[in-house]
Amino acid sequence: MAIFRMHIPFLDEVKAKGLRQAGRAKADDLVTRVTAGLNPSDVRGLLRDDPAARPNPRLTPHAEGFWLHMRPTYYHTLVDGIYPTFRLGWLSTFFFVFEIITGVFLMVYYTPSPDAAYENMLNILGNVFLGSTMRDLHKLGAEAMVLVVALHMLRTFVTGSYKKPRQFTWATGIILLGVTLFLSFSGYLLPWDQLSLWAVTIGASMVEAFPPEVVGQTMNLIVRGGPEFNADGLLRFYLLHVVLLPLIGIVAFGVHYYKVIHHGHSLPPEAEKVGEDTAKRVPLDRRVYFMPRIVTRELFYIVALVFLFLAAATFFYEAPLEIKADSLVTPLHTTAPWYFLWLQGMLKLGDKVIWGVIVPTVLIGLLLVLPYFEVGPSRRYGDRRIGLSVAALSVAAIAVLSFMGTPWYGVSTSAEQEAVATLLPQTHPGPVRETEWEAIELGTFTASQYTAAPNPAMAALLETFHAEVLKVNDAERSQAEGFMIVEDWQTDLRKVTLRVVWTNLADNSPGEYSQVTYVHRQAAYDRGGGS
Amino acid sequence: MKWQIAAGMFLVLGLIVLTLGLALSEMPRMELFKASNDARAVESGALLFENSCRACHGPQGKGIEGVAPPINAADLYDGSRLAAVGWSGTTEDYVRNVIAAGRPVPSAGTTYPQRMPTWSDRFGGPLRDDQVDSLVAFIMNWEDRALAEGGDAAPPPVVEGAVGTDLAVSLPEGDAVRGQQLAEGALGCSGCHVLADVGPAWNAVGDQPGVGTRAATRFTQDDYTGQAADAQQYLVEAVVQTNAFIVSGYPANIMPQNYGDRLTGQDLADLIAYMNSLR
Repeated sequence: MAIFRMHIPFLDEVKAKGLRQAGRAKADDLVTRVTAGLNPSDVRGLLRDDPAARPNPRLTPHAEGFWLHMRPTYYHTLVDGIYPTFRLGWLSTFFFVFEIITGVFLMVYYTPSPDAAYENMLNILGNVFLGSTMRDLHKLGAEAMVLVVALHMLRTFVTGSYKKPRQFTWATGIILLGVTLFLSFSGYLLPWDQLSLWAVTIGASMVEAFPPEVVGQTMNLIVRGGPEFNADGLLRFYLLHVVLLPLIGIVAFGVHYYKVIHHGHSLPPEAEKVGEDTAKRVPLDRRVYFMPRIVTRELFYIVALVFLFLAAATFFYEAPLEIKADSLVTPLHTTAPWYFLWLQGMLKLGDKVIWGVIVPTVLIGLLLVLPYFEVGPSRRYGDRRIGLSVAALSVAAIAVLSFMGTPWYGVSTSAEQEAVATLLPQTHPGPVRETEWEAIELGTFTASQYTAAPNPAMAALLETFHAEVLKVNDAERSQAEGFMIVEDWQTDLRKVTLRVVWTNLADNSPGEYSQVTYVHRQAAYDRGGGS
Repeated sequence: MKWQIAAGMFLVLGLIVLTLGLALSEMPRMELFKASNDARAVESGALLFENSCRACHGPQGKGIEGVAPPINAADLYDGSRLAAVGWSGTTEDYVRNVIAAGRPVPSAGTTYPQRMPTWSDRFGGPLRDDQVDSLVAFIMNWEDRALAEGGDAAPPPVVEGAVGTDLAVSLPEGDAVRGQQLAEGALGCSGCHVLADVGPAWNAVGDQPGVGTRAATRFTQDDYTGQAADAQQYLVEAVVQTNAFIVSGYPANIMPQNYGDRLTGQDLADLIAYMNSLR
């Protein structure tokens, strides 16, 4: 009589059939369990693209397994091509997962505190194995995700897929667009360098304009954790970035995808009669089964995209990191992240309250409820000339406004400052720092005599400088000239002074503006790299 | 589908190769990053030095007689200064400590009237830790050249034709531009009178006019204790007889008292012309 009895059925099998037979049966069983219903010969058939047996064993994982129960067992051939979906929804999901994986890696090395965050970045870039690659991937993925999600919305509008019965799918999609934008925006602050602090400051300044004043001020305090971004603000953005927004995203994504499957992928507009929705009624001969077609394709896409992004991060892209954030020094020409440039452009149109708060709020509200008041029954392009024109105009408007958000439009800085900033920009390394150190020779060089420069690199710098300095000459000033003075300052360190001088026509008095920078032999701005 | 499987397999191989290549080049890449980051710290440090330190320690850290000691000097790096102050750590630690916490007490044998202020925001100063580190990186980058130059800092040269301390001295025509260069350069005036509020500010601040305007009337004030009979004499006195009259609110003996030996008549005239231009 045993207190503890253990029975291993496999041993009985071995006894009955021998080790070889029993082992094979066990392996088959294991494959069937892992694939949630496909035995090895089913898997082999899948990979060979054999015709499915009847009843189709490839449907079992959709019924038995957790992950595949969310995926449809088949798609309509009409939505199987690149058109009409352009795979944008799938890509959005891919990037969401991609960002979670790379993001968790970065989280390990990150502390959300102004005292530590920037030093953490330096550590990730200079001390963590593949840290810089992971950061590049995370940043690239974020940019791609914003683009893909925005295009997904545009595509859904263009094909009229937001129309009945998919109104609510569209609304959850708008929420997901917002989540994506704010995920990217909140992540922007985390490196805590000058670039991130000021880009986010510009973006967050809209909150302050919210009327009435007491509401705007309170919201501003809540968002920034104080009058300026500091420890509290950084922690809030971090928690938004890693907890709240991903949670909202996952929940909204769940609803969104459930609705997509529930209603079926909307067919191309011309494939259905006006007013009909036949997405769920897929004739037997128009079915593309998830297994093996779709799953093979998706696995291929995943490998291809990871390869593409890894190659891009390795050979072409370096996520920027400027000097540490300093709330006392505003860099010239700071801009919001590119996907919020249109907002910055709108702010230049006039009143902050109207253009920064009311118009964007109304636009987002309209977008959210669009399918509930735009109820024209036809999804066909020919019947939706107004809607499609509005979409085209909106795209054009976003492009124009984004341009207006850049420093090239309507920034009132004086010409001499612009001339110096062309060579010594404050938001990125720029020409002087990226020029090879040895080429920046000691001496005093006159911009207009760029042809006499000692080497081609200096000549290029001086020529650029000269072209900008000429813009100083206007109705009030003349005889503008630029100088570049290079001094030997320390071992491997040179001092570069850029000076613009001119004559004020009113009283013939001289005017002068200059800025100094120091360049170190090993700073290697031309190779990308650190702070 | 078949080409997707084939291409997928190929890409997996590609991914492995790419990752291996990355992994192999990762160590040198990280070394390069650290080198470039250290170099950029020197660059930022140079800018900080220009803004915060140059006025007292001189543009190349050679010190300004009577204002602040040299930093770009061999004795700081060869250990003799550390021995003199009894510092047992490294030069780098010493420099960091002095910048961050300041010097409440002068070194033995020195007569600098001003104390080194605290610069780290941990001690009430304006600079963050990383900025202090950048300054240290910049200052430590002088080591090679300072040691190569060797020896102690040269004793201050004896100025031929020094102006002396007589208020009635007749001065040549002054040049305000050169006076400004002197004030911001070798004489170190701007360290206390422009950038820091150690001495009375020369520029107009708030409703207080500039030093030129103040000099015109100050010698007529009731509390005036000096000997000057006009505005020019007042300025001469303020530079060369520094304790003859102390502006209320400032302690005596802060201003170096050796300018009479260090300035020529032309220097003083230029300096006064510059001060007179600040209205």
